[in-house]
Amino acid sequence: MNASTHIAPELRSGSQILIRALEGNGVKQIFGYPGGTIMPVYDALVGSSMKHYLCRHEQGAALAADAYGRVTRKAGVCMATSGPGATNLVTGIANAFMDSVPVVVITGQVPTALQGTDAFQEVDIFGITLPIVKHSYIVRNVADIPRIVNEAFALAEGGRPGPVLIDFPKDISAGMGEVADCQPVARPVARFPEAGLLQAASDVLAKARRPLIIAGGGIAISDSVDVFREFAARTGIPVSTTLKGLGVIPTDDPCFVGMLGMHGNGAANHAVQNCDVLMVIGARFDDRATGKLSQFAPSARIIHLDIDPAEISKLRKADVAIVSELAPALEGIQPARKASASWCGQCAGWKKEFAWRYDAPAKGIYAPKLLRDLSRARPEGMTITCDVGQHQMWVAQHCRFTDPLEHISSGGLGTMGYGLPAAIGAKVAKPEATVVCVSGDGSIMMNVQELATVKRYGIDIKILLFDNSALGLVRQWQELFFDGNYSEVDLSDNPDFSVVANAFGIQSMAIEQPEEVSDAIDWLLNSEGAALLHVKIDPMENVWPLVPPGKPNHKMMKSNPAKGR
Amino acid sequence: MNHTLRIQLSSVEGAVIRALGLIERRGYSLNKCSVSESDGTGREMEVSVTSTRPGDLLKRQLERLHDVYHVELIPAVISNPNKPGARPITRKGALQ
Repeated sequence: MNASTHIAPELRSGSQILIRALEGNGVKQIFGYPGGTIMPVYDALVGSSMKHYLCRHEQGAALAADAYGRVTRKAGVCMATSGPGATNLVTGIANAFMDSVPVVVITGQVPTALQGTDAFQEVDIFGITLPIVKHSYIVRNVADIPRIVNEAFALAEGGRPGPVLIDFPKDISAGMGEVADCQPVARPVARFPEAGLLQAASDVLAKARRPLIIAGGGIAISDSVDVFREFAARTGIPVSTTLKGLGVIPTDDPCFVGMLGMHGNGAANHAVQNCDVLMVIGARFDDRATGKLSQFAPSARIIHLDIDPAEISKLRKADVAIVSELAPALEGIQPARKASASWCGQCAGWKKEFAWRYDAPAKGIYAPKLLRDLSRARPEGMTITCDVGQHQMWVAQHCRFTDPLEHISSGGLGTMGYGLPAAIGAKVAKPEATVVCVSGDGSIMMNVQELATVKRYGIDIKILLFDNSALGLVRQWQELFFDGNYSEVDLSDNPDFSVVANAFGIQSMAIEQPEEVSDAIDWLLNSEGAALLHVKIDPMENVWPLVPPGKPNHKMMKSNPAKGR
Repeated sequence: MNHTLRIQLSSVEGAVIRALGLIERRGYSLNKCSVSESDGTGREMEVSVTSTRPGDLLKRQLERLHDVYHVELIPAVISNPNKPGARPITRKGALQ
């Protein structure tokens, strides 16, 4: 990649050159935390056009940058010092890598002469993060800074997005050089589909008797939602989605059969197991989606569309593989006939059979019903960020989404502690949106310090905290698969989360009775500024259905056979 | 199954270890490796690996790396599953 135009060089520090290069790449917000070796960069940051959000832990900064990248499709930027600052970013970097999120990570490093001497706060963050970055750099010359920064943004955002790390030794960031800025480099050339493969896919679909689409996160990442909806409407093929694909068509659309997989809907899992052609679009056959791989969609021919050649036939052999931008591929696939009415009717029948029910007797507040009511209370323009656990699956099952960017969830890495910093990143990226963080009593404590960030910057997010006094999903697995041998899942000595919120200067409300739900949702969504709603739920509530480990998707458990619920 | 790959890559810092790390982390046991300067600015690396996973998948995974210019999968001549270093790769993990 070559820079195209230069402006005249002037004598500047490496940090000043870095700041100018970030501004040149359109960066408006940075999430970070200062420290020893990154101090020259923070010195140069003063007076820049970018707003820095001081998070209260580097992991919070990295995860906020991740959510910012998801919402804007532009690289979120996070920054930390060397050593522990850098290692604290690692979970956030891995999170972005697993979910293909554009993030540029800037780390301070000890001066070049001290590298390799076990200097104070020295770690090899370049080496530590090699398996979880799309690419990474150690800057060795001041003159390289503009090129490296520009390349980093192009790589992070281009093709299949991902995190790119730039490690800055302190002698480089403090060093001086006469270096010209250069223009951001062009993004990688788009890949277009081969005509022969489009025809092959069209032919396979035209002959299909029971075609099904699995729509993944790649559709939102590539900004192909509209094209996808046009394709789905034109072909009439029923649509299932992965966790990250939720919202590519509205979840109340008649063509939507549900999310598939471990905690997917029965209709989706039955449709997948019975289809004869499976069109997988921007998804990667994750084990949580497929269940037992050898029995996944056993009679289906596979059409796989993805931008990443390395995803083709990685886990399931593709009969037709199209490596390309999704939009031109979807526009070019034109089957000669629509999906059959009888098959669509069968899918509709499964939808009816496996429709969620909210009338089961439950002790206290039933979280799935509350989430359904939350969606109904704010049908348009609500972004939900999730933590990880039972509540995350309940959100995926029971909230209504009309766009994939309304659902920000840690899919691949499953990062507890994601929800709160993700809400910060999403709200900063999209100030006009109502942003609700749905969390659990386990997850919230993983990054609870970010309540201080929420308060400091007046970030108007709403936190819905389900508290079952346990690590609920692990407890559920211990109940079902470890003979009820509960090991280290009890959180009955949780702090009073309402008081915790108040201590950070955030208003709160606590409920534990079903009749309080309606007013509480109203309070949460309409209160001015950040607010936390603490909802006590039954500690023994489980997520259903569940595909047990090692089983195919249609062998779902709908209740605990030992207790019938 | 043995696979041999010839990898043209950049000589920048980290390029070789990034490629070697990927090979092992993606489930391919490294049997032999040689690295040499190639003409121009890059390096050439030849690796021999063993895995139950296909060689062309490793080729595509290596080609994703920004530092890697070109990967050639050399057709296997000898396959000896008893060779030292040949170990089955299984997917293991929490809650699986």
